[in-house]
Amino acid sequence: MKHLVSAVLLLLGCSQLAHGASNRIFVTNERSNDISIINGASLEVEKTISVGNRPRGIGISPDGAELYVAISEDNAIAVVSLETLELLRTFEAGSDPETFAVHPNGNIYISNEDDAKASVFDPVTGGQLAEIPVGLEPEGVAISPDGKQVIITSESTNMLHVIRVPEHDIVANILVGARPRAAVFNNSGALAYATSEISGEVKKIDMEKHAIIATKKIADEKAKPKDVILSKDESKLYVAGGRANQIIVLRADTLELIKKVPVGKRVWGLAISKDGERVFTTNGVSGTVSVIATENDQVIKTIEVGKFPWGVVIDD
Amino acid sequence: MKTFLATALTLPLFLGAAGAGAETALRLAFIGAEADSAYNGVLQGVKEANLQGRFLGWNYSLSRFAAAELEGLDPSPFMALIVAADAQTLLRAGRRFSGRAVLNVGAGADALRRACSQNLLHVIPSDRMLEDAKGQWRQKSPDAEIVASGWHPDFVKFAARDLNKRFRKAFSQPMDQRAWAGWAAVKMVSDSIARKNFKDPAALLRHLKTDLSFDGQKGLDLNFRDTGQLRQLILIASTAGELLGEAPVKGVAPPDAVDSLGRPSCKP
Repeated sequence: MKHLVSAVLLLLGCSQLAHGASNRIFVTNERSNDISIINGASLEVEKTISVGNRPRGIGISPDGAELYVAISEDNAIAVVSLETLELLRTFEAGSDPETFAVHPNGNIYISNEDDAKASVFDPVTGGQLAEIPVGLEPEGVAISPDGKQVIITSESTNMLHVIRVPEHDIVANILVGARPRAAVFNNSGALAYATSEISGEVKKIDMEKHAIIATKKIADEKAKPKDVILSKDESKLYVAGGRANQIIVLRADTLELIKKVPVGKRVWGLAISKDGERVFTTNGVSGTVSVIATENDQVIKTIEVGKFPWGVVIDD
Repeated sequence: MKTFLATALTLPLFLGAAGAGAETALRLAFIGAEADSAYNGVLQGVKEANLQGRFLGWNYSLSRFAAAELEGLDPSPFMALIVAADAQTLLRAGRRFSGRAVLNVGAGADALRRACSQNLLHVIPSDRMLEDAKGQWRQKSPDAEIVASGWHPDFVKFAARDLNKRFRKAFSQPMDQRAWAGWAAVKMVSDSIARKNFKDPAALLRHLKTDLSFDGQKGLDLNFRDTGQLRQLILIASTAGELLGEAPVKGVAPPDAVDSLGRPSCKP
């Protein structure tokens, strides 16, 4: 039996399991300056750690060994061992780092809100590899699964900037609704979806033509769409509705509304498990994380975390 | 890989506007004093419009004139005019630039709103809006010594923090109500042109009056009333300058009910 398990593990490939995924959920708490660590089986907070001031963006290295946390007030990214949960090192990441994404090659793409640029860091050395001028108040960062395209949203310039990797040049600037906040690619990278906070819209974009092919205005006046993720089967979009206190579930093909799922107050961060079965939301004002079962899009648990939970990532 | 990356760092490859062709020049005019904070706001707005313009192949330029130069001024090169001056100058500018948007960033008189001119757009709040904002606040705190304003340099919500930071960095002075209005006037013009590709000033004016959807870093999608007044929230500060809150005041008016603040009707 033991041999069989080892063989299966080898077949599954070492990238995900070399460090033994812990099935934990990590949540940055912007105001309490700490990280809540949730056990994925019991859905209880098992530990709280502190790594720096005003933690916001959060991500995991492709080999599953390290957790990255943007500690905005320290102008740095903290690197934490996923095995020991100890702080390994920090590196400077420009002024007020907030949102970032981890590339399949391990590099970190980060938006520098103050400087109208995006920058690329090697988290192993902490060295900056490139910087790309973009619009004002860059915010959301999305990387296509094949790693060839990066989208940076610039909130005040109302654009999605499409950047080629490894060239690091801008190949398209797509005007969208006011205050574009977040974006996500589909699995093939041929499509992307983006939210606009002030115009209250979700847009679907053809990434070959760099053209908007569908727009959904969220009818709820209070909805200020923030984070957006795609279900594993690519049939549904989950949109964090901000002060509408709901997750808005849309059909990914037509952007028609499927359901509104009430969660905590001021919901903005989202993460989905690799098996596609659970969505986790950070509810800023409530100080909670909601767990949604994607099978029927019902909240199955609400977990108390720290003050103003911001980002969420799953080590699975 | 390492060699390439080193190159990328020293020579950031950057395509300004993929497929955008030659640069289009767009001209804006400003009437007011160089020392007016509204002018700095306009300059900041132009800088930011050009940051967007480099992705779209557009370049904005600004010409400043004193109020005394208005009579001889030819409106034809300009897409829009921004005015930081008294009510009389504003009305004269409106007539001179008939058919073009004239954006008021300096005069608060309610009579200007009641006049419902064809081309005057009031970005700065009216006196009555500020009074109503104070009135709402006093319903909750009757004895408060307060001032109301369209902007506050310590405002942080809705990315106001970022705008205040950029302005302070550029001009070494806090962004006040006039500076915000100057910035917002340019931003609503440049955002509209970016979206609709207007070449005709009259088409731009029609769009601003009836179809505007604009992020003024005040959290709402901003647009104009039929009086030409921009709907917006108002900030309340103590007389010592400390930011206290926003109007519409929570508990007194619904949070998005910006029309609870100073809404005169057009004179018949």
